[in-house]
Amino acid sequence: MKRLFAMGAALALIAGAANAQENKLTISVYSFGTDAMTAAVFNPFEEVCGCEVVVETGNSVERMAKIEANAANPVIDVAVMSTQDALSLARKGLLQPLDVSKLSSYDDLYEAAKDPIGDNMAVGYGFYATSIVYRSDLVDIDSWADLLSDDLKGRVALPNITGTQGPLTLYMLGQALGYDDISFADTIGAVAESADDIVTFYSRSSELVQLMMQEEVIAAPVGRFAWSRFSGSDFPFKWAEPKEGQTGGMNVMLMTKDNGNEELAYQFMDYWLSTEVQTRVAELKLDSPANAKVVVSDEIAESLTYGADLINSLNMLDPAAIIDNRDAWLERWNEEVIN
Amino acid sequence: MFQNNREGLALALPAAVFTALLFLLPVGILLSEAFRVDGQWSLQGYVDFAVKPLNQTVFLRTLKLGFLVASVSAVIGYASAFCIVNMDAKSRGRVFGLVVLPLMISPVARTYAWIVILGRTGIVNDAIVGLGLSDTPIRILFTETAVFLGLLQLFLPLMIISLVSAMENLPKDVIPAARVLGANWFQVFTKVILPLTKDGLVMGGTLVFTGSLTAYIPPAILGGSKVLMLETLLYQRVNVANDFVSAGIIATILIVMSFGANLLLKRIAAARK
Repeated sequence: MKRLFAMGAALALIAGAANAQENKLTISVYSFGTDAMTAAVFNPFEEVCGCEVVVETGNSVERMAKIEANAANPVIDVAVMSTQDALSLARKGLLQPLDVSKLSSYDDLYEAAKDPIGDNMAVGYGFYATSIVYRSDLVDIDSWADLLSDDLKGRVALPNITGTQGPLTLYMLGQALGYDDISFADTIGAVAESADDIVTFYSRSSELVQLMMQEEVIAAPVGRFAWSRFSGSDFPFKWAEPKEGQTGGMNVMLMTKDNGNEELAYQFMDYWLSTEVQTRVAELKLDSPANAKVVVSDEIAESLTYGADLINSLNMLDPAAIIDNRDAWLERWNEEVIN
Repeated sequence: MFQNNREGLALALPAAVFTALLFLLPVGILLSEAFRVDGQWSLQGYVDFAVKPLNQTVFLRTLKLGFLVASVSAVIGYASAFCIVNMDAKSRGRVFGLVVLPLMISPVARTYAWIVILGRTGIVNDAIVGLGLSDTPIRILFTETAVFLGLLQLFLPLMIISLVSAMENLPKDVIPAARVLGANWFQVFTKVILPLTKDGLVMGGTLVFTGSLTAYIPPAILGGSKVLMLETLLYQRVNVANDFVSAGIIATILIVMSFGANLLLKRIAAARK
C-alpha cells in the first residue's frame, strides 16, 4: 500500500512537471534594458497567457552558442537577435520557418520587417538608425566622409569592427568615399591611413558618452538606441543627417527548431508585434516600432527610429553579406588598422 | 609537530581536494583544448597563433609593458621603501597606510579616474598647455602611455610593500658601516641594499610583472581596441568570436610567461650570491 502511494505521488509529480513545462516559455533576449522590457512586455504577457516566461540574457555570442549546443533538445523557445545572427542560426538549420498566418499583426508590419532573412525564418520587431552624433558647438557634420577629414583629426571615435555598428560605419564611409565594394578593402585602407588620428574604436556606446562630454571625441557613429544618453545631457549634441543618408539595422524574433512549444511561442510573438504592445514599448523609448500602425507623439518619436519615410530610407546592409564577409573584414582590419 | 605524517596530510586534504577538483581539473580541461587540433595532440595552434602579425605585436607589447611597469615600479619602490623605513614609527604607519589604501579601492574606479585625468581637458593636458610645452592638448588616452600609467598605479603598491618588508629586515648598521668604509651611495645600493633585499625584489617583481601581464581593466579602459594586450585579446576571442581554442592558447602563453618571469628573477637573484 505504502509503495503504491509513493508511486502515485511520483506520478502526480511527473504529471505536474509536464504540465508546468507546457505553460512555460523560455525566451532569450538582449541584456540591454531587460528590467524595463520585463515590466512592459514579459510580465503582462504572463497575465495574458497564464504561463510563466523565463527570460535568459547574455551577449549575442553566448546566446547563439546556447541555442546551438542544445539543438537536439532546445531549451530556448523564442529568441531576439540581429538579422545577421538570426541568419547564421538559420543557415545552421537551428530555426523553424514561421507560419505567419498565426501572427495576426503580421500585415501591420513595415515591408522590410516581414521576411528580413528569407524563408520566413524570422520577423522584425524593431528598427534602429545609425548616424553620426557630434558636438554642434565644436563641429558641423554633413557627410560620412567628414569622419576622416583634417578638421576632425584626433577627435573622432569609430565603432569597432567586431560590433554591429562597425560594418555599418564602413559601409557608409565607403559610399561617401566612392568605394562600392563589399570587401571594404579600400575603405579599411582609408581608415588605416587615418588610424593614428582616430581616438579609439569603441565597443560600447556607454563609454562614448563620457569621452564626448570631456571633448576627447567630438563626432562618432552611434546607433539611435543610444541617442537618449546624449540628448538627455546638458551638452549640445546633434544627430547628423549626412547627405549619403543614414544606415541602420533591424532586430528580429525567431523560433528554435522543434522546440515543442510552438503554440505559446506564436502567441508571445504576436503579442509583442501587436499595435498595443509596440506602442507601449515605443512610448517607454525601449525599442522603435516595426508595426506601422503605431502612432507616438513628436517628443517620443525624437528618441526613436520612427516613421515610414525614415525607415524606408535607411541604407541597411544585407545580413548575408555581413556573414559572408565579416571574417575577411576582421582579418584585414586587424592587419591594417590596429596592428 | 604532528604525531605522524598522516595527521598533516589529513589537514591538507580538504584544501587539496578543493584545489584539484575546482581549479586544476577545470583549468586542465580548458587548456588541454589549446593543445589539440582535429582531435590530435598538436602544437599547430601555437604556430598558427605565432605567425599572425597582430598576435606578434600584441605579445611583444604585453611583454614590453610588463617589463617597463616592473622596472619603473622597482625604481620608485626602492626610493619610497627607503624613505618609509627611515621614518619614525608613527609616520611610517601613516605613510604605509596611504600606500595600502589604493588596494582597497576597486581597480575599475581607480582606472576610470585616469580617463578624466589624462583627457584633453584633464589636469595633465592643462599643465602641458599651461606650461607652454605644447600649443594644443596632446592625446594620451588610448595610447601605450595611458595603459602604462594605469598599470603602474595599480601595481606599484605591491612593489613598495614587498620592498618595505625586505628593508625592515635590513640590519640597521650595515648602511652606516658601508658609508664609514668609504662606499658612495651608488655602491651602498648595489653592494649592500640590493643583495640584502633581493628576495623582496623578486617577490615584488613577480607580483608586478605577472599582474601587469594578466590585468584586464587598465588595457580595456585605457587602451581599448587600439592598444590590445594579450588579456584584452583573450577577452575578444571568447566574447566576440566564441573561439575558446585561441583563448586557451593565449591563457597558456600568459601562464608560461608568469612562471618564466618568476624563475628568471629567482635565477638572477641566486646568481648574485
